[in-house]
Amino acid sequence: MITRRTALLTGTAALLTPLAARATDPGYHLKPAEIADGVWLIEGAQDSFAPANGGAICNIVMLRTDQGAVVIDSGGTALHGAALRGFADQRLGGVAATLNTHHHPDHWFGNQAFADRPILALPATRDLQAQNAQALSEGLYRILGGWMRGTAPLPAATAVTDDSMVIGGRDLRLLALSGHSQADLALLDPTTGTLIAGDLLFLDRAPSFPDADLGAWRGALDRLAAIPASGIVPGHGPFMRDSRAFAQTRAYLDAFQDRLGRAADLGLAPAETLAAGPMPEFAGLGANPEEYHRAVVQRWRDFEDMALPLIGGTA
Amino acid sequence: MMSAFLCDRLANGAAALAQYGGGIAPVTAPDADPFDSGMWELHRLEYLGDPPDWRADPRMRVLTPRNAEDASHVPIMIDATGLTDPVTRIVVTIDYSPLPLALIFHPGRALPLLGFGVKYEIAGPIRATALADGVPARMGGAFIDAMGGGCSAPAVAHTRPDWQQGFGEMRGRLFPDSGRLRVNIRHPMDTGLADGIPAHHLTDLQLLDAQGATIARIELRHPVEENPTLTFALPPDLASGPVRIEARDSNGYRFSGEVRA
Repeated sequence: MITRRTALLTGTAALLTPLAARATDPGYHLKPAEIADGVWLIEGAQDSFAPANGGAICNIVMLRTDQGAVVIDSGGTALHGAALRGFADQRLGGVAATLNTHHHPDHWFGNQAFADRPILALPATRDLQAQNAQALSEGLYRILGGWMRGTAPLPAATAVTDDSMVIGGRDLRLLALSGHSQADLALLDPTTGTLIAGDLLFLDRAPSFPDADLGAWRGALDRLAAIPASGIVPGHGPFMRDSRAFAQTRAYLDAFQDRLGRAADLGLAPAETLAAGPMPEFAGLGANPEEYHRAVVQRWRDFEDMALPLIGGTA
Repeated sequence: MMSAFLCDRLANGAAALAQYGGGIAPVTAPDADPFDSGMWELHRLEYLGDPPDWRADPRMRVLTPRNAEDASHVPIMIDATGLTDPVTRIVVTIDYSPLPLALIFHPGRALPLLGFGVKYEIAGPIRATALADGVPARMGGAFIDAMGGGCSAPAVAHTRPDWQQGFGEMRGRLFPDSGRLRVNIRHPMDTGLADGIPAHHLTDLQLLDAQGATIARIELRHPVEENPTLTFALPPDLASGPVRIEARDSNGYRFSGEVRA
């Protein structure tokens, strides 16, 4: 028993040391860019959560209105949210309202900094935020260490639906979709024609699949693609005036489905499929191969169920 | 390094596997624990029968994710086909699991290769040790980072009122060109560590040939995942099937099914 306890303590100490060493400079250096009239983009790092990026990995959009900024997604930590709030206060006359596109933590763990103004999300997103806050938070404290200081996730308070709304005098079109997660909010800014797609679109960064439904995701892309847009902001990756993000996201979904379907149909086990790495044409995307490795674990059963027929049961 | 993994069936899979690794790095002192873990000595004594001679062997391949993305389902694959000595059983242990013994695989007439999934409670090494009379025990393994909760969390099945529906359902397939056999059994695999849920798990699974003779056998323990899927590899003479699969659990239930080429 002494052997076991000593070993456990040694193991714990080994885990904690690098965390303490990482918590050096929890400062976010934002580089906002005005991509259309009154539309500001703060681009995230094209990578996974890591101490090097402090969880600032998703794209944040702010729309200027007469009553302050409409903030679309609030960042990955309380400190990130506070830095974003600082920009809105200094340059855009404060905050009119904040919207969370979906419940993955990089998009809403900064909500605390915006709590004095309305925070809006789809009803299912609010439920998922509340249900998953604790587990997501534990995971991120472990990965990000000091960057997470003071972060106590605050779910959105107000529900929105698939509709048009006016915030601070600015028209906004809200699209309630799903596929990347159980509830994905996309927005069109009709004033400039900018489409803010949330994580339904990725560009030059591997899509993440923890809650993905590939069929629903394709349906959401069809609906988004039918909207005439002058420019597209993906959830992760650069702003573009062309439809590259659509083509790349669709191709990635297809190639991933093809690779896992093929693996399951050849009798491969999930550990082999993981170690075989991402589809070669997408191996160089940001966050790969790690995102592919995660996706195999997250989605494997969907493919296995299709590949293995019923052969028996309780005798 | 040679292996019976099928990564090369996917585009660029062979190169990716070579880069990914799988198992321990070549060792200079074969009787030193490459993970430098205090549990290894205890587990050798408790679960491996205290073998007088053992070594860390990079030919004992162990493929795992680097992180337990889902602590309830961590996919593992063991390949001992690179060993030149005989293998009569392979014992899988998890260093910091509250229930360290995951399974004992008796490959028999199947290849010494096995895919399965485990729950992971605490970050640490998983090890597969090949044993046979008259040869040293040969240990391979991999370190898996984990946030925990895999063993002490209740089975997902219990969150549904109809969890008994579909209980014991067996899915499977024989893949004659590769000799692979995959079988899945719907079972909660309760560890007994979740509050108010007693232990209830599969204890034994066998593959039988057309004459009813045992091909291979596994003794299963608590850390194996809920609704486990097992991957075997059969030599050409058995890969044409049929193969019968029989299993039983700690509550006396029996399960059976059959796969044909």
